[in-house]
Amino acid sequence: MDLTQAAGNPVYRFYKNPNVRFMFFGALLCLVPYLKDIGVFNAGMLITIGGAIIYSVAALGLNLLLGFAGLISLGVAGFVGLGAYATAYFTKDLGLAFWVAALGAIALATLIGLLVGLVSLRVSGLYLAIATLCVSEILLKTFESFDSITGGMTGKRAAYPTILGTTLTREGTYIMLVIVLVLLMMLTRNLVKGSFGRALHAMRGSEVAAQAMGVNLLKYRLLAFALSTAYAALAGALYVTFIRSSYPTTWTITLSLNILAVVVIGGFRSIYGTILGSFVAFIVPDLILKKLPVIGDVPGLAYIFNGVMIIIVIMFYPAGLIKLFSDARGLALRLVSGKARKAVN
Amino acid sequence: MSTFLQILLRSLETGGVYALAALAIIIVLRTSMVAHFAQGTMAMFSTYVVALLCSKRGFPLWQSLLIGVAVAVAMAFAVDFFIIRRAKRASAVSKEIITLGLIMVFLGLAPVVFGVDPQLMPKAIPHGGDFQFLGASISHNAFLNICIGLFFMGLLFFILQKTKLGLAVRVTASNEPIARLMGVSTRNITLLAWITAGILGLLSGVMIAPATTVTTTLMNPVQLNALFACVLGGFQTFYGPVLGAYIIGIGRNLLTYYVSSEWGEQLLYVLLLIFLLLRPNGLIGRKFIKKV
Repeated sequence: MDLTQAAGNPVYRFYKNPNVRFMFFGALLCLVPYLKDIGVFNAGMLITIGGAIIYSVAALGLNLLLGFAGLISLGVAGFVGLGAYATAYFTKDLGLAFWVAALGAIALATLIGLLVGLVSLRVSGLYLAIATLCVSEILLKTFESFDSITGGMTGKRAAYPTILGTTLTREGTYIMLVIVLVLLMMLTRNLVKGSFGRALHAMRGSEVAAQAMGVNLLKYRLLAFALSTAYAALAGALYVTFIRSSYPTTWTITLSLNILAVVVIGGFRSIYGTILGSFVAFIVPDLILKKLPVIGDVPGLAYIFNGVMIIIVIMFYPAGLIKLFSDARGLALRLVSGKARKAVN
Repeated sequence: MSTFLQILLRSLETGGVYALAALAIIIVLRTSMVAHFAQGTMAMFSTYVVALLCSKRGFPLWQSLLIGVAVAVAMAFAVDFFIIRRAKRASAVSKEIITLGLIMVFLGLAPVVFGVDPQLMPKAIPHGGDFQFLGASISHNAFLNICIGLFFMGLLFFILQKTKLGLAVRVTASNEPIARLMGVSTRNITLLAWITAGILGLLSGVMIAPATTVTTTLMNPVQLNALFACVLGGFQTFYGPVLGAYIIGIGRNLLTYYVSSEWGEQLLYVLLLIFLLLRPNGLIGRKFIKKV
């Protein structure tokens, strides 16, 4: 095929447009409820995949922070929990609409995130990890003891969202999750392709050089951290409206580490990689490992799997599993061209 | 006054446990340049071994302790030899992620190896009484813990400051490439640091365990407070975190007793964050100036 001709072709251009591709990807994910209806999946699978989508949202935020700015946050679970409890409180107790409640939750979490960032980002990256761990612990204790708002250990209930006067079903809520995910993928791509992304790239390359070029380190680090908390809070809002309950035991360091695993396994700075990582970290243990003989019954299996995956990926395949696709394509091309060369010879 | 003294004495015990854990973290951080987030989880693992041998197999405490030390050393050796040493060129963030992955592995393995039932750790002095001291009382076990903690800290600081080995550790901590040029076997020093951290972790675990039951979450508060102790004391010295650990131990107990039993701990963490805003480099921190 003649590429110069193809590039001018509107169909080809449409096909190559990343936003269109994100939408195709979303449409593919929307097929899941129908596959469930014709019996390929069971209803539990819908919740598992929905969960993976929700955690993808939080992981996209963490990828902005970890992949682009090179900072670790161990408080993701705390902020997701904050988003969940705030949304549940705003919709159930104050009677606000879901989207107002979600926006309120995001604003609240971002504000706290900004404060924490302001405190810890002035020194070195390690301080953010410890400060977020600290905040996560404060939030978790608050979820446990602030009975009047969070319901304490008995948990907090919520309902499926009501949008434009109609209350969604479980399938409808799932479709909403997919739409939010696709919108966030577009937003993330635009963010990292713009001046914000360039500034973060420069900082990662060399802090000193970036500063010399007029990049304000604290400002961009704060911005990255605030964005990642906003994503986390949005994930919490989606969680509570999809799962319809929230318990303090969900929002422990365990979840933060799993979301970190998503980013590492999928691939730093890759949007599709984050989603791939989320599916690997949250669905593979549930779907495949549990069915294996002997090791299938091991209680902490998902956890061991994700931990081992993190270490292996960081040590031997630091670009993440998303690179498998381009590696495979490169290998295939090499094989094909090798064969072609042999044929010519 | 006697209540205050009582709280102070009890804080010395918890502070000592945090101090041992904080020392373990700082020693690994300074020699191996790895933020050792899995310290608490690995300590939990070896503490589980001791508790299981004691309560289930009927070994005496000292024998189980020796086996526990062997397990801790083996784990530290394996982690340094097979993982950390091979990731030497990785960035600081990658190494942090590796230790976070280790948390997941050990946390996942613990129920597989030890079962899901919580275990009980016997006290060092089974039927110990109390010492009376100016109206405050302290149990024999708590007193023993304070002494053991102080003894090991003293031993460690003696080795660090007065022996050739300690000099090698300090040189490695201050500048690893130069230390290697000067003939210090930094590989062995790093390995030694990991092993020391493993043993210190086991000690802190065994000291804190009789107060609760041994579960997979046993060391979470210790690890958390030890990390905060490092922040409070600053990462530049070995004694800063120890000081920070005692301050946190005392502050925690005072706040939970005098202010609020439910919100005292949160208050302490908020105070720590405010402190970080005022003195970002810790109590005994120097500003670290990076040369281009």
